[in-house]
Amino acid sequence: MRMINFAKRNFKELIRDPLSLIFEIVLPLFLLFIFQQFDIPAENYKLENFTPSIILFGFSFITLFTATLIAKDRTSSFLIRLGTSPMKSSDYILGYILSLLPIVLIQNILFFLTAIMMGLEFSISIIPTILVSMIISIFFISLGILIGSLVSEKGTGGLGSIVVQLVCFTSGMYFPKEVIGGVFEVICKALPFEACLNIIQGTLHNDFSNLTLIHIIVFLIYFIAVILFSIIVFKKRMISDNK
Amino acid sequence: MIAIETKKLTKKFKDKVAVNEIDLKIKHGELFALLGVNGAGKTTTIKMLSGLILPTSGEIIIENMNMKKEVFKIKEILNVSPQETAIAPNLTVKENLEFMAGVYQIKDKEKKINELVKEFKLEDVLNKRAKTLSGGWQRRVSIAISLINNPKILFLDEPTLGLDVIARKELWKVINSLKGRITIILTTHYMEEAESLSDRIGIMANGSIVEVGTAKELIKKTKAKNFEDAFVSIATGGEL
Repeated sequence: MRMINFAKRNFKELIRDPLSLIFEIVLPLFLLFIFQQFDIPAENYKLENFTPSIILFGFSFITLFTATLIAKDRTSSFLIRLGTSPMKSSDYILGYILSLLPIVLIQNILFFLTAIMMGLEFSISIIPTILVSMIISIFFISLGILIGSLVSEKGTGGLGSIVVQLVCFTSGMYFPKEVIGGVFEVICKALPFEACLNIIQGTLHNDFSNLTLIHIIVFLIYFIAVILFSIIVFKKRMISDNK
Repeated sequence: MIAIETKKLTKKFKDKVAVNEIDLKIKHGELFALLGVNGAGKTTTIKMLSGLILPTSGEIIIENMNMKKEVFKIKEILNVSPQETAIAPNLTVKENLEFMAGVYQIKDKEKKINELVKEFKLEDVLNKRAKTLSGGWQRRVSIAISLINNPKILFLDEPTLGLDVIARKELWKVINSLKGRITIILTTHYMEEAESLSDRIGIMANGSIVEVGTAKELIKKTKAKNFEDAFVSIATGGEL
């Protein structure tokens, strides 16, 4: 299977990049640890709420490093070589997605293990939470494919950082959107990150009272649109890069 | 026996004609050099012949297969060593070879990899990450990778660009050893490289092939002192 072969290569490239591991795993783990030391009197920072936030925060770096890998492949002529091989577009897209899923799984396991060691009560709902977050991660990986197909390696740093900031400030991981209100609240509702966090938190708590129909619709629109656009733009760039 | 044939091969980018009605026949086992100044249309021609981009019009027949109808079958029997070194930087040399063997679904991949390691003398760098190798070694690995699927057709785009004289001579030796076995299409800016390695040379200017022949034939035709002068005379239409 060509896509599995390609996924193996991508996985090796990613785990051998120390920066990728630091930002995707070490930094979120550090934040999970450090915020629990302050005993902040807010619901957001309780382990059962903050662990899903950290999962989402880790995903924003998955977007950044997926984008960097693709932009690097494009500029290094690596994709030109593969373009002359019998690999098909589906092999590339699925190869990139499959290579990231084991990293997402490792992230989830490490985040939950750390959270349990710090006092999170073990619950069977952790297993479906990991599965749901892996599905959500496909959105973040596709967003990385889209960014990596659109801009150069230098550009991925800038756009990737915007995704990290948007996740931090509009998902509700640090503070509820109602604290600022107004236009900010509308922006939070229009972006998919709050919906992602509510889905992960809801699955962990086995309580979806915070999840509205609007959240589900917004998430599905972004999920489908980003996957479709990433495929279209990647295919187009494969051709235009070779002109 | 003809390995590659083009019939009125044309590529336009909006209003600009990059390649203009090229008719070309390259024989089995021939090393054919494609020369031309920057923007002459060499790289676009190679990209069309290797299935990377589609022609605007015209036909490409490779090993009796039509590029339009059997592109994936053609891709099984050709390979390319691009101008810039195209290897996975964080993978070792062995992993790069294994990866490309997987791309072409080579059945006895260990045997093929061992053959290439021996032929390209890669034993000492086999377990080193590709990004840690010198430019010369990276290029050598890049060419070794391009032979993983026993290609019938091999495109070498500026294979010795930026290499020092020793690395270049070593690569010439490797390329010479492939002659006769594989049909090779080589692009280069080094005249001595084209003269020394090729069976025939095609010179491109403004998207067209303006002259084809052996180095000696082209020197004779232009009454030049050497091949470089012959090339300049042909590429500029006798202006220089």
